Amino acid sequence: MRLFRISALWAAIAAAVGVFVLLGYFVNIDFIQNIRLLFMRWAALLAAAALLVGLANLVQVHWRKLSLAEEGWIYSAVLILAFLVTLILALSFGPDNPVALFIFEYFQLPLEAGLMALLSVILLVAGFRLVTRRRDAFSILFLATALLVMFGTGPAVTEGPVTVVMRDLRAWISQVWSAGGARGIALGVALGATTTGLRVLLGADRPYGS
Amino acid sequence: MTAVNLQGLLLLFVFLGLMLGSVAISRRWPATFRQIAAFEALGKAIERAVEAGERVHLSLGTGSVIGPDSAPAFAGLAALTRIARATSMSDRPAVVTTGDGAMAILARDTLRSSYGEMGASELYNPTSGRLLGPTPFSYVAGLPSILTNERVSVHMLSGFYGFEAGLAAEFGERARAFVIGGTSEVQSQALLYAVAQNPLLGEEVFASGAYLGAGELHRASLRAQDIIRIGLIVLILLGVIMATFEDLI
Repeated sequence: MRLFRISALWAAIAAAVGVFVLLGYFVNIDFIQNIRLLFMRWAALLAAAALLVGLANLVQVHWRKLSLAEEGWIYSAVLILAFLVTLILALSFGPDNPVALFIFEYFQLPLEAGLMALLSVILLVAGFRLVTRRRDAFSILFLATALLVMFGTGPAVTEGPVTVVMRDLRAWISQVWSAGGARGIALGVALGATTTGLRVLLGADRPYGS
Repeated sequence: MTAVNLQGLLLLFVFLGLMLGSVAISRRWPATFRQIAAFEALGKAIERAVEAGERVHLSLGTGSVIGPDSAPAFAGLAALTRIARATSMSDRPAVVTTGDGAMAILARDTLRSSYGEMGASELYNPTSGRLLGPTPFSYVAGLPSILTNERVSVHMLSGFYGFEAGLAAEFGERARAFVIGGTSEVQSQALLYAVAQNPLLGEEVFASGAYLGAGELHRASLRAQDIIRIGLIVLILLGVIMATFEDLI
């Protein structure tokens, strides 16, 4: 019974805060606007604190893997070492000191750019796999459209009537069919997001536990 | 209050009324929904994972909990309550990863309360809800080790993703896991359609709770969405007709 009361209290607090923040988007009264801003600032502070908790959790997971010498422990060791070095440097000299910037520019950026480059290869493989695994009309249409847009966007070796037609076709697909479809999907997503938010406000979904 | 604000508030109340009204009439007129093959396959894949002693992995994406991109991750958390219950008989409980610290805490709370409700609190592990990396690509870089080292056979993506969606789904495919994925971003949905075995298109990612049996309000939400959608389509068509024949009128 006591647990039930506590969970109802959490739900009531979450709903009340949510209602004030939501009202702030619709009602232009100073009192509600100020409360909304206050709650948003608290949320930003809590999110920053949660990031620290998350990082501590990340180190805990990898420390466990390292201490138990589980499969892939060497990667966990590298992660903990990189984390500690970056943290100590950033805390000692500030996040914009030359060494921290060097780490960001010559380690993090190239690694993330490499993953982005990997994506293009993966998409090529996925295109072939799509034809072999999900051989239906939609998949073929999807691939045909992707190829048309790709050829219409890429640089032409020689200018001619074919390249002009391809460019016009690409523009027609992306500005008419693609934009229309994207708007339809965005509308559906907005409806889904609204009901998800309302369920949290009603206390039916309790991501904060019950 | 401006007229635009009043319209928005009114639409919100209509939405709320439709959801609650749908719950009220659900016993007399239960909602029936079209079959979504991905969700049907997901149920079977979770059963297989439990029987084989393998793990279900839920990825809540790289969106922040306080941003407008948090909605698909909240839908994922609603699905997590059902997944946690379905896997409470398993030796290997579900694992949840995210790129946001606050979302990781919410995932842990959801797992703890779901296992508690099932009387299986011992399954809860504080490392089951993890932050993998605070940036989109550092997050996906951490996925392969979980998928391969922790015997994951179901890889579900429900959250906000940018271009990293393609990589997140591909790592699941390479680990030979059952991959199902949906997001709110239109471009990322195209990536998931190409890469994932079972892509969720449009608002299907928000329907996971209703299809996994998370409660009557989830089913009522879909019904309310359908009614509002039909209303919007009628309004758009009327607008098109009026704009087309503007000169004649």
